[in-house]
Amino acid sequence: MNQPMQPDLPDRPTSDRPILDGPIPDRPMQDQAGASEPVRRAIESFLYREARVLDEGDYGAWLAMLAPDIHYWMPFIENRRNEDPAGNYGPGRLAYYDDDLAYLKIRVKRMQASTAWSEDPATRQVHVVTNIEVEPTEDRSAEDRREFVVRSILLSYRNRGERDEGTQFARRTDLIRFEAGKWLLARRRILLTQNVLLSRNINTFF
Amino acid sequence: MAILETDNRPQAGANFTALIGEESQWTDRRIFLDEEIYQLELDQIFRRCWLFVAHESQIPEPGDFVSSYMGEDSVLIVRQADQSIVVLINTCPHRGNRVCHAESGKVRSFICNYHGWSFGRDGKFLGAHQQDAYDASRDFCQDRGQLNMPSAARVDSYKGLVFAIFDPDAPSLQDYLGDFCWYLDALLDNDEGGTEFFPGCYKYLVETNWKTPVENTSGDALHAGWTHASGPEALFGRAVAPDKGEHSYHVNQNGHCWQFNLDYPLGNAAALGEKRVLNYLRERNDQVVERLGEVRAKIMNAISCILIFPNLGILPGSMNFRVYHPRGPNKIEVHSWGLVNQNAPPDVKEAYRKGGMITFGPAGIFELDDGENWEFVNRASRGQQARRAPLYLGVGLGSEIEDANIPGHVSQGQMNEANQRSFFRHWADMMAAEDWTQVPGK
Repeated sequence: MNQPMQPDLPDRPTSDRPILDGPIPDRPMQDQAGASEPVRRAIESFLYREARVLDEGDYGAWLAMLAPDIHYWMPFIENRRNEDPAGNYGPGRLAYYDDDLAYLKIRVKRMQASTAWSEDPATRQVHVVTNIEVEPTEDRSAEDRREFVVRSILLSYRNRGERDEGTQFARRTDLIRFEAGKWLLARRRILLTQNVLLSRNINTFF
Repeated sequence: MAILETDNRPQAGANFTALIGEESQWTDRRIFLDEEIYQLELDQIFRRCWLFVAHESQIPEPGDFVSSYMGEDSVLIVRQADQSIVVLINTCPHRGNRVCHAESGKVRSFICNYHGWSFGRDGKFLGAHQQDAYDASRDFCQDRGQLNMPSAARVDSYKGLVFAIFDPDAPSLQDYLGDFCWYLDALLDNDEGGTEFFPGCYKYLVETNWKTPVENTSGDALHAGWTHASGPEALFGRAVAPDKGEHSYHVNQNGHCWQFNLDYPLGNAAALGEKRVLNYLRERNDQVVERLGEVRAKIMNAISCILIFPNLGILPGSMNFRVYHPRGPNKIEVHSWGLVNQNAPPDVKEAYRKGGMITFGPAGIFELDDGENWEFVNRASRGQQARRAPLYLGVGLGSEIEDANIPGHVSQGQMNEANQRSFFRHWADMMAAEDWTQVPGK
């Protein structure tokens, strides 16, 4: 029997890698522990460039900025009492994004498909990155590899057609890696400030 | 249409069939736009029908609760000490303030932020801040029942799905679902361990009338290959093969609808893009056939969609459950969840959770294409001339058949609008009926 929607799919390993799945302790940023000025500038440039390629819809360039082992996580934010031990987000719950690179590539493919009617005409978007803090990690597993915890705020503004608007603010915590002369995004946790998403969808990356 | 003239305002007893045509093959756009019709829908439909409010797995222990909506009423679904479930309207009988602002959690009692009135898990008034002032009042406590949080008239479950209703005179949940119990078993009872929801609930706003996504979910296989062309292209590099209609159907009863295609029994499940899910389903196929028979073993994952009247949509295969909560004639709040078999292995559950996210989550590659259509169906109909042009809903007129293996009213062919027509006929019946005795069983 012809079964059009059952092609061979790649085996996807069960995810057991560490993720940024809880509040990261807010250690005071000491001068000697903080990243050096050149590193800070390089990481800021990396984030600004990422924001620009997303604005331009250059998703190929964006995918090239991601580490092969990336975990890109945007949990759904729940309204729970302050005393509730479950917290207002967590791993294993519903999420907007809980992606590895293969998932992100599928999303990009769909964005770029000529049949993605709701992306044509294109959405106009601006990603504003601000409040960047850079902190080196202890990881010295490889001589030529350094990783930094980078916190930032993202303002995502979208405008479509005549007057459709979407505005979302999110707090991001990234793990940004320098390896073999290249900066890569290795982990991203995106905490949205909305419970009910005040838009009909999310056709953008954060 | 006479119904909108001044001498015939929308009210119970009015002729709503005039707005959808005798065979409901033409729909008057004003049923999606008119504020008076919308207000009447809240009373005639959302106050009188069984509404889906939760899955039992969300509130396993006494004191566990989740919040939801019944129409525009905010409600709390609370597990009691005796394992029964109570559905409270989330409003304080003192000044009307919202009592609980959390969407889920565990409580001993609910306390209103305004004057500190407190209520048990069952909504019974327990006491208030400055209680002596109330006790000194002449008529306080005369009827403590009036001090309780208001509640739904009845609550009942069908195999894990919790429904509540405000109308005490409505039929039982079992009768309300009718033959759709038989169908729903395909999703809810294909394994002895039953089902559960993943933790969490997607919530998002769409600027459309609630009936627009509802008629879509009732049977719109026609839009799948076109609207959602980009999803399969991204997943598989090609489009879905067109349906020939030989083994595909629309079935409906009392406003509930299911359309499915028996030729591609893993169609919707394959769209999750997860090999682990397909392997799990293939391994279990013989068991499911033994438990439920051939037809239901196929429809549980087929290219298909379901509507439970009035506003619960279900996507078999991807196991997405969603409610389109009305928010005025031009707005809805979508709540959506993922269902999975409780006994499924952890890696299969994880594959379902992520597959559900990437397909029908608010950033999902299929969900992204629906919202804009639904909003512009509404917006492009508001013009003074556009609103007078009726909408065509006649695909598959005359395709009704009898099939002993398939309960309900059956039409041949998935590329059909029979379910949508049956939804609007039931809508018109509910809008006109003064009470449940006047609702024709269909």
